[in-house]
Amino acid sequence: MARHQFAVIALAAVALASSFWQLLDLFSDYTRASSTFGVASFEDRFSEFRKALPPHAVLGYLSDNPVNDPSNQSEFNLTQYTLAPAIVTPFIRQRLVVLNYHSATPDLAILHARHLTPLRDFGKGVLLCRNDAP
Amino acid sequence: MTFLCIALIWLTGFSIARFLFPAAPRWSLHSVFLFSLGTGLGMGTASCLYFICLALFGPSPLILAGFGAILAGAAILGGMTAKSRGVTLEWAAGPVTPAYLTWLVAAAAAMAVAMFVVLSLEKPQGEWDAWSIWNLKARFLFRGGEDWKNALSIQIPSSHPDYPLLLPSVVALCWTLGRAESVSVPIAVAFLFTLGACGLLISSLGILRGKTSALLAGIVVLAASSFIQLGAMQYADLPMSFYILATLALLCLQDRFPRDLRFSFAAGLAAGVAPWAKNEGWLFLAAVLLARLIAILRFESRAVLGPQFLRFAAGALTPVAVVAFFKFHFAPPNDLLAQKPAELAAHIALFGRWIITLEGLAKIILVLGGFLLPIVLMLGLYWFLVRFQVEARDRTALATVLLALGLMLTGEFAVYVVFPPDIITQLNVSLERLVMQLWPSGLLAFFLAANAPEIVAVPTHVAAKSQKRKPRGVAPKPAQPSMRLN
Repeated sequence: MARHQFAVIALAAVALASSFWQLLDLFSDYTRASSTFGVASFEDRFSEFRKALPPHAVLGYLSDNPVNDPSNQSEFNLTQYTLAPAIVTPFIRQRLVVLNYHSATPDLAILHARHLTPLRDFGKGVLLCRNDAP
Repeated sequence: MTFLCIALIWLTGFSIARFLFPAAPRWSLHSVFLFSLGTGLGMGTASCLYFICLALFGPSPLILAGFGAILAGAAILGGMTAKSRGVTLEWAAGPVTPAYLTWLVAAAAAMAVAMFVVLSLEKPQGEWDAWSIWNLKARFLFRGGEDWKNALSIQIPSSHPDYPLLLPSVVALCWTLGRAESVSVPIAVAFLFTLGACGLLISSLGILRGKTSALLAGIVVLAASSFIQLGAMQYADLPMSFYILATLALLCLQDRFPRDLRFSFAAGLAAGVAPWAKNEGWLFLAAVLLARLIAILRFESRAVLGPQFLRFAAGALTPVAVVAFFKFHFAPPNDLLAQKPAELAAHIALFGRWIITLEGLAKIILVLGGFLLPIVLMLGLYWFLVRFQVEARDRTALATVLLALGLMLTGEFAVYVVFPPDIITQLNVSLERLVMQLWPSGLLAFFLAANAPEIVAVPTHVAAKSQKRKPRGVAPKPAQPSMRLN
């Protein structure tokens, strides 16, 4: 019986201690968390843009993130999530293109080089462009 | 309104479960089993109904509400008026359970709920897969109107357009009927699935192995932070885990109560919904059928094969038909399966891919569940001290669970070796989730095989009395000489 008692207590103790430890970690993360990135910040940034979208639009997408930046894909997915039911394609081969940029102002030279003409700046790094590429 | 909708979905599921396994309306282990099973049955039914209405009649809230009311009304009427018959599910006889174990389960449950709440407050829209796939599709279904099929557009490859719609449909259903896109819906759905999986594990082990083993398994599953996180992050792996556990637990109960074939029907129902939760559900369906076939041929009379498989097929028929309708009429081809045979052959020939996958699996097993010490070592210690004792009547059940889980792992291993072009990224983002899908069922198998621990000294006459207690209703299969596995 002592073996059984030890087995049960050891298993339960490790399980409960692990759960408690993880909970403390989560509380600590939660109290320190800043909302610079994530769904809420994207919903906020794109709220005006979404209102201006034609229904069921199909948009191109361009970001000023470096190509190999791991946040590139997540920012694209968040943009798509925020703008649904519009379809956002991960390239600029569409008539309308949403620009997601992080600098104070978009680099117009780069836009022109890609045949993109700014149509409306929604602020917070969100710009609607027209693709004039043939 | 949205919460009313979720409550109604759960009540519908509970009523279906109660219609299948009626019991006296009182707080009992039987009721806990039905409460838990009802979560998955309700979500599966509501999700299939939503998708069929959308596919056949378009996005009409009125038609949806009409069919929903008829289905829910019929289920609730059937469930609530069902007379108690057949099996009554009660705690299996076993050693006396100390009261503190119940308090420890309550503590584990409280910490799990706190963890779920904190994570949901921090990320109310869930993690990557939630907003890249599941909730994104729900938004397309709800916001898209006549263009709801854009949810399956190949122009958004990152949303995996061929993925099934259990979660998106049930979330969109609540949004449609509640007329609001409330962030609380996916959270509540995820919470119910998490709670349901834990409740199902505890109640089914309680019926099969007794209170002590059930409560201990409950502590371990509730304390697995990565399992709770999977739920709070609104990933579809948790519903998948629920349906795997429900199927296997119901098949175990089938073996305990061999004359009552409703368990096979309900197992078929749960297994049929699995491919509606995730594509791995097809693999599970094949694995569980093969496992069951082998287990019955090895340990049972062949005469039980036909009736059990017929009931299982009858249960699985409707959900599988819905998934097949989705796959053949709406879903684009799967990106992994769309690769050329020559590429796949080249993957198989690369020995490094086998090693990487094995290595990944070994690493995941060591950190499984997010415990302070590797849980496999702790379970190993538990086995060393308590030992396995498989009763003869549980051999078929245990063989079914172990074979099904083994086949699932083998199948997933093969998928990793054969399909993904970038195997390392694929392993990093998905392997732990896939293993966690099997976690509650693994615990079911472990505690079903393990001896029921004796931790309270009981006077001989009291122990004898407790052993003589017989369950009411249809008698379970009597215990026969057991097989001790030391």
